[in-house]
Amino acid sequence: MSRIPIRLRLTLAFAVVMVVVLAALGGFLYGRLASSLDERIGDELENRGAALAGAVRAGDAASLDPALLRSEEGVVQVVGPDGAGLLLAGDPTRTTAELARARQGVVTIDRGGFRIRAEPVGKYVVFVGESLDDRDEALDALLAQLLVALPLVLLVSSGIGYLVAGAALRPVESMRRQAASITADTPETRLPLPAAHDEVYRLGETLNEMLGRLDQGLEHERRFVADASHELRTPLAILKTELEVALRQPRSEVELESAIRSAAEETDRLVRIAEDLLLVARSDWSAFELRPVFVSTDDLLRAAAARFATRAASAGRTIEANSESGLVVEVDRARADRALANLVENALRHGAGSVRLRAEGADGHVELHVTDEGSGFDPDFLPVAFERFARADQARERGGTGLGLAIVDAIARAHGGSAHAVNLAGAGADVWIAVPARLNGADAPGTDRAGVR
Amino acid sequence: MRILVVEDELKMAALLHRGLSEEGHAVDVARTGDDGVWMAQAVEYDAIVLDLMLPGVDGLNVCRRWRDDGVWAPVLVLTARDAVDDRVAGLDAGADDYLTKPFSFAELLARLRALARRGSPERPLVLEVDDLQLDPATRQVWRGGTEIALSNKEFALLETFMRRPGDVLSRLYLLEHAWDYAYENRSNVVDVYVRYLRKKVDRPFGRDSLETVRGAGYRLRRESP
Repeated sequence: MSRIPIRLRLTLAFAVVMVVVLAALGGFLYGRLASSLDERIGDELENRGAALAGAVRAGDAASLDPALLRSEEGVVQVVGPDGAGLLLAGDPTRTTAELARARQGVVTIDRGGFRIRAEPVGKYVVFVGESLDDRDEALDALLAQLLVALPLVLLVSSGIGYLVAGAALRPVESMRRQAASITADTPETRLPLPAAHDEVYRLGETLNEMLGRLDQGLEHERRFVADASHELRTPLAILKTELEVALRQPRSEVELESAIRSAAEETDRLVRIAEDLLLVARSDWSAFELRPVFVSTDDLLRAAAARFATRAASAGRTIEANSESGLVVEVDRARADRALANLVENALRHGAGSVRLRAEGADGHVELHVTDEGSGFDPDFLPVAFERFARADQARERGGTGLGLAIVDAIARAHGGSAHAVNLAGAGADVWIAVPARLNGADAPGTDRAGVR
Repeated sequence: MRILVVEDELKMAALLHRGLSEEGHAVDVARTGDDGVWMAQAVEYDAIVLDLMLPGVDGLNVCRRWRDDGVWAPVLVLTARDAVDDRVAGLDAGADDYLTKPFSFAELLARLRALARRGSPERPLVLEVDDLQLDPATRQVWRGGTEIALSNKEFALLETFMRRPGDVLSRLYLLEHAWDYAYENRSNVVDVYVRYLRKKVDRPFGRDSLETVRGAGYRLRRESP
């Protein structure tokens, strides 16, 4: 059944219902006619029987008026107590059993195209009969008409049903045709909606909304791929050019070594970009595996500060970890270190003055802050700071991949937290991640735990 | 050849400088768009290698500025942006060639040689004859600032005239440059379209810049030398 097209199925269901309705109608008509004809014959027999019985009762059965027998097509018989017919007309057939029953009360018998009514009158039994030919003829005529008309009605109504079902399904078909033509190259195409605000309209609307979301996702992915390929091209171009230039003529050992060193540097950069890309791409599919442990925030901050101490010192900057909060947080240690490192790295690269790290606990959450004393973020950049490949400067900053803050954001979200950045009132920027103190704790309401396994 | 390299990536700039110098070219490096703009104005380079993503003025605007200022040195855009739209925008901004990173150094050299062979003739983005202007990229035409709507064929014919202002162009020449092989010389289609053009470009402005030269063809007259 499910293989049959929906239009045909609707039509078939409609036809089945029509067959039942028409059959019931035909049966009803037939029954009504039959019963009304029977009633009329019954009345007739009763009248004639009564007239005959009256005559039998009034006088001598032997001297009955022959006029009573004049009914041409009828059966009229009066049977005496001895079983001999006193007055006979029409078909004499009757069995003794019937006669015996008729002596007890009124009996109706159908036989040989006649309906015979037998009634006991004193010692006699009065038989009157009527031909059933007219009745049967009328019923046969009706049956013949019904057998012609009802299938016709069924055929016509099924045809109309088929057309109506087709009309109702036409918007679906036009939506299907449009949907078949939608590809990744035509993501802005939407399904045509019927004029009526019906179920099909709502279905189309919902599908169009879904297409919109897919379109957005696709656009997002496209931009990511474009950005990623752009990001990979620069080191690849340097690598390729470096090697090609080196190979164009005989080189001294020193020249070759410097070329190889430069090529190695670019390879490192490519590896770093590839790793960052993989991390960010994976966070998109929320398949970000966490190995959570309890650590003190003081530990986290001290470790991050220590890792960058030498670099900060060589740039004449200081880096301090305010590590007396006594807070404990459940995080993936390696990821948390990575997020903090990215923040400190950013503060060293783009900020100025000393870099401070501190932890704050509030409302079941722990915030890890990194602040600097530079000029802060460009106000236009702040809203997109955590987007992939967002850069404060249009031109490439040597060394960065444009993914640092995006990774921080991804790590924070994987922990069910979030990342934030503001410019401080005085000078500098404050960038922090807020994560729930306990990953599965009930004391962290409203946290999005997407990506946590 | 004297070559200008406009590239903000330190390492890439140094590499191009070294590689091109070793091929015997004289190479200058500009690290910002602004530097690139004035350097190309100061020296007549045989070729320019231009990166698109630059701090300050970006590469497309640098190129436009050069062309506006009459710097016609051939420009090769060298960029990591490879989308078709980017390439179209680069070429329409007045660049002569487009190479995406990563590129083959040998190909860069060959393309620079090819560009230098073509020399540095004026290659304005918008054709101008007196107060008549035509932009082939946007397919727009103006007379004294008033935009004129032309059909495709009229546009092609006018562009043919405007590429050789002052010259007498035969019907055959016009037919060959604005029509394809489907048309035969015998037809008077050129005369018909010159009439259309006059109706749109000359008459409403009280001009008669499109002249008939008896027995020779047509000429777009230039008033100012």
